[in-house]
Amino acid sequence: MTHTERTEQRTPVNGTIRILIGRYQSFRELKDLFFKILLSVAIIVIVAPFFLVLFEVASIGFWQVFGSSSGQGIEFFLTFPGPSLEGGIRNALVGTVELVVIASCVGIPLSVLGAVYINEYTEPGLTKSIVEFTSDVLAGVPSIVIGAFGFAFLVDFLKLGMGVLAGSLTLSFMMIPTVLRTTQEALRSVPQSLREASLALGATKWSTTWNVTLRAAFPGIITGVLLAVGRIMGETAPLIFTAGNNLIVPTELSGSGSWVASLPYTIWAYITDPRAYVQEKAHGAALGLLIMVLIIDLIANYISRRVTRRLV
Amino acid sequence: MNEWEHHIEVQELSTWFGKKQVLKRISCYFKDNTVTAIMGPSGCGKSTFLRTLNRLNDLIPSFRRKGIVRFRGEDIFSPGYSVYNLRKNIGMVFQRPNPFPMSVRDNITYGPKLHGVNDEDELDDLVESCLKKAALWDEVKDDLDQPAPNLSGGQQQRLCIARALSVDPPVLLMDEPVSALDPISAGKIEELVVQLKKDYTIIMVTHNVQQAFRVSDQAAFLYLGELVEFDKTSRIAEAPTDERTEAFITGRIG
Repeated sequence: MTHTERTEQRTPVNGTIRILIGRYQSFRELKDLFFKILLSVAIIVIVAPFFLVLFEVASIGFWQVFGSSSGQGIEFFLTFPGPSLEGGIRNALVGTVELVVIASCVGIPLSVLGAVYINEYTEPGLTKSIVEFTSDVLAGVPSIVIGAFGFAFLVDFLKLGMGVLAGSLTLSFMMIPTVLRTTQEALRSVPQSLREASLALGATKWSTTWNVTLRAAFPGIITGVLLAVGRIMGETAPLIFTAGNNLIVPTELSGSGSWVASLPYTIWAYITDPRAYVQEKAHGAALGLLIMVLIIDLIANYISRRVTRRLV
Repeated sequence: MNEWEHHIEVQELSTWFGKKQVLKRISCYFKDNTVTAIMGPSGCGKSTFLRTLNRLNDLIPSFRRKGIVRFRGEDIFSPGYSVYNLRKNIGMVFQRPNPFPMSVRDNITYGPKLHGVNDEDELDDLVESCLKKAALWDEVKDDLDQPAPNLSGGQQQRLCIARALSVDPPVLLMDEPVSALDPISAGKIEELVVQLKKDYTIIMVTHNVQQAFRVSDQAAFLYLGELVEFDKTSRIAEAPTDERTEAFITGRIG
């Protein structure tokens, strides 16, 4: 190849390059190597933030979460904060769990039923496009706007007041588009012939949908659900105007007794506090939240793989 | 109940998808306890014909039809006719094996449970008898709880046949049941079809002429939506009356 010869002749070769050229005979192979390096660099840049975040958060918060002296470790999560924010973050941990559970109880059935309706019970057409378009737009709405909407609609207009109810309903608005779309995707990937096999046995549409289609789509749906749960768990903006804050767990369903703390809100509030020991608690809470989200992702991964292996 | 001579009788059946006419005024009946092969080149309407018989085409919004299909003397398209009962009585096996993502056992018990069989012993007996009829029992009896998708393609197809038999339909529709399988699995299924005809009326779509001749008692030849010829298979194989049939079975069209 004349091209190769020209490259080799014209390159002022020092030792390293000569070795490289010795191993990678032609210009094409060098190009190949170059792209391999480029791709590896991209991957490193992609993965690095995860480890950097983990390192940064852990470097301050590690002893809060894993330490064994008083107020650290499990005690950090199980004691309520005192009046000047000494103590633990039990209020935020319990609050987040309450918010996420209520949001899921409202959001998941609604979105799964909605996805079933659009995918299985409507023909492609205007209704379907409208629902898909709206849910895509809703998925793209910034969370602070959802929070503002939650305040204007739930807190103010429906007079729910701030608290656990308004907060979790606002969170469910955030999870509905994600769960709806991933469920739709999972339903779409179920082969038509499975539905036909069920119908050909004399099954009704509902029986087919419930026993065959949803079952076959289950791994996809559960993955989408858990990813959505992991996401809303860490949302701060929707809660700022809707959930309030609390040093203990909510005792009522409405009124100021229903105000509820959450991990992300607590992190945000603590980290802007000038006191060093409060900032340390913010990092501890952040590490705790990070671990919870990680665990949920791992569960999602495990379920989808186990169920996939068992069923498909 | 009307008088009826054959399970399925078709009278002047025409169908359309949108504006495109797929079947043109087809009239015929299927003799009970025989295998009828429906052959024809791709796109001639074989599958559409088959899927009209158990009203599976109703799922397609643009589907329209004219004419009458009678099951046991009753018009299956008449208002108030139960499509669920119809499909319980007319089983179907599809081109590609499509077992449900459940265990082998649950694949068989799915249909009977839909129609109200809940007794565990009865279900166990059904599982065994259906799998035996489909010549699959010996291969899976030790592990009925294994996921059906783990079976080989040929086993899956026999499971699908067992599943179709589970609701005890007198009529079995088969839509090119072996075209997605390897020759050995295909051979097993062909043998099975011949065995099953003593208890069932089988209507099988195929584009494989040799297979139609091996397996069937009657053969229908569909061409561009017309029923060109319908007679004893041996007669068609020896001396087709229509030149289009001859062209197809000698491989000049199709």
